[in-house]
Amino acid sequence: MNTRWDLILLPSFVIIGILIVASQFIFLEGSFYKDLGLGRTGTDLQLTNYIRFFTDSFYLNTLWITVKTSGLATIFTLLLGFPVAYLIARMRSRWSMLLLAGIVVATFVTIVIKVFGLIIIFSADGLINKVLMGIGIVETPYTIIGNQTGVVVGLMHFTLGFGVLLLYSVIQTIPRSYEEAAQIHGASRWRMHYRVLLPLSLPGLTVGALMIFNMSMGAFTSAALLGGGRVFTLPVLIQRTVMMEVKYSMAGTLSAVLLVTVLLINLFSIILIRRLRSARLVIA
Amino acid sequence: MKHRLKLNRGLLGAAVLTLGVAFATSSTAGEFDGVTLKVATWGGSWKKNIETKIVPKFEAMGGQIEFVTGSPQSNLAKLIAARGKAPFDVMEVLDAQQKDFFVTNDFIQKIDTASMPNKQYLEDWQYNDWRIASWHTQESICYNRDKFKELGLPDPITYNDLSHPKLAGRLSIPDITSGGGLANVGAMAHAAGGNEANIGPGLEMIKRLNALKFWSRGGEVVTQLQSGDVYAAVVHSGWCVRARNAGANVMTAHPKIGSKVGVHKHGWLVIMKSSENVKAANWFLNEYNDADFQLEYARNSGVVPVNSKAISMLKSDPVLAEMLQLDPELIANELRVDYSKADISDWNDKWNRSVSGQ
Repeated sequence: MNTRWDLILLPSFVIIGILIVASQFIFLEGSFYKDLGLGRTGTDLQLTNYIRFFTDSFYLNTLWITVKTSGLATIFTLLLGFPVAYLIARMRSRWSMLLLAGIVVATFVTIVIKVFGLIIIFSADGLINKVLMGIGIVETPYTIIGNQTGVVVGLMHFTLGFGVLLLYSVIQTIPRSYEEAAQIHGASRWRMHYRVLLPLSLPGLTVGALMIFNMSMGAFTSAALLGGGRVFTLPVLIQRTVMMEVKYSMAGTLSAVLLVTVLLINLFSIILIRRLRSARLVIA
Repeated sequence: MKHRLKLNRGLLGAAVLTLGVAFATSSTAGEFDGVTLKVATWGGSWKKNIETKIVPKFEAMGGQIEFVTGSPQSNLAKLIAARGKAPFDVMEVLDAQQKDFFVTNDFIQKIDTASMPNKQYLEDWQYNDWRIASWHTQESICYNRDKFKELGLPDPITYNDLSHPKLAGRLSIPDITSGGGLANVGAMAHAAGGNEANIGPGLEMIKRLNALKFWSRGGEVVTQLQSGDVYAAVVHSGWCVRARNAGANVMTAHPKIGSKVGVHKHGWLVIMKSSENVKAANWFLNEYNDADFQLEYARNSGVVPVNSKAISMLKSDPVLAEMLQLDPELIANELRVDYSKADISDWNDKWNRSVSGQ
């Protein structure tokens, strides 16, 4: 008797379909109607909201800030996370497991608590400002609230633990013997990293970067708390539009634009990496 | 013998008293048997005040109260999502929502003011067939006295006094989406020479004030004042009272706006059109305006009672008497934003573009 193993997947597909696809569809469909106020929408299909989005510099700037802060957060998370992940992956002592466990536990901490921690240490009388002012780097307290730098820091805080875990698993798949072989043949440590480790980890690094970027694009809490009501990313604007202004159609449009932007950036990134890799193979 | 007579009289008195109490309670006990009254209000201390004072009374009469917590804006969204069939019987509404609720009265039903003896302590304009006042807040400037002294700054009198360079990056101003956002944007528009139909000058002034943060929850302001991150905040006096109680040496300044002093934000109670618990809902509205409850509410949350008896009683509280305007003449002279002239959607749009600079 042939067992239909694929049927096992059916419940998962149904649940995903209802929870994700259907709810997204409702918003996407709603984006094609006009807001009539008090949460009511018109009945005629139209592109008014999309036209408004793409002809209004406020919305375009919001999209740009969302992409920019997410992109910067991704780059800095990778720069900070890669060495940490590499060190833990290559450690031979029992400390590696302890460090890894610490990172896993840190990812469990709710982002609200993490962000408030940041706000406290960056407050006027907080640790960072005391140190910076103590050694004379700044004269007045530096704040991360209400500016894009703060939002980038918040997004990094949100994604760093996840990023390190992801990169750790990528580096673990690269045999240590490759690095040793490169060094035996005279490659310096830097050259070994650049010519051996980086190319081999590039596929994983790309996937990791995209995941961190996607998480950042959709992150609300860090951007809302550290943006201080002054930096509007798309998730922040969506929340305001839904909860405060009760404009469901416009919020649907903003969600649709966010979703399509993320999909396009992912698609172009994958195409670009593939082309780069095939070009590299031809050269090699 | 005399002792025995006294004892008998005592026993008789106790029996009469017991019977009296039993008779009195029998007329109310069980009046709301099986009734579940759903009340849409804020969470936190607002809800807790009701739980402490009103819920036990209602339960003693056989009913129970459930809460749907959220801001009036989000409760309005729930109401709309339910297509008018509100998932609650009673709702707290802000004066800023008057266009949503009181132009057509589509969402609400008439209240029975005849069954509300506590209305005698309200002013005439504070109740009508559709709504009854619940509290008011005084939107003020909450400033740190120590820091102002340290910087050599005089106590603020107007919003403009906050534009001093020494206060740059040390102010907290309400986000337009926060509880006091609309009232303060409207007030600042007036202070800067604009009005409800033209908030531009107010937004320009807000930009000029160079705030550290636009707060969305009052609790944030208390934390910021305590930590020393901000030296002054535009916030309702109740939060300033809480900051004082939390240890910050803060004081309220009721901003002078033309001939007006202070900014008045009003809360209303309404009964939803779809409510079937009308009697219980009217009972709740009356209890909300009971002097004891209003007094407790004011002490815990720093809101100003609408019950005149409670306002008089509040004057004996040294902190509240110092930080709130409790004289009826002063209250009457507070600026009230006329939301019938305001396009809130336009306000939100202009705010987003102005404060973000995007």
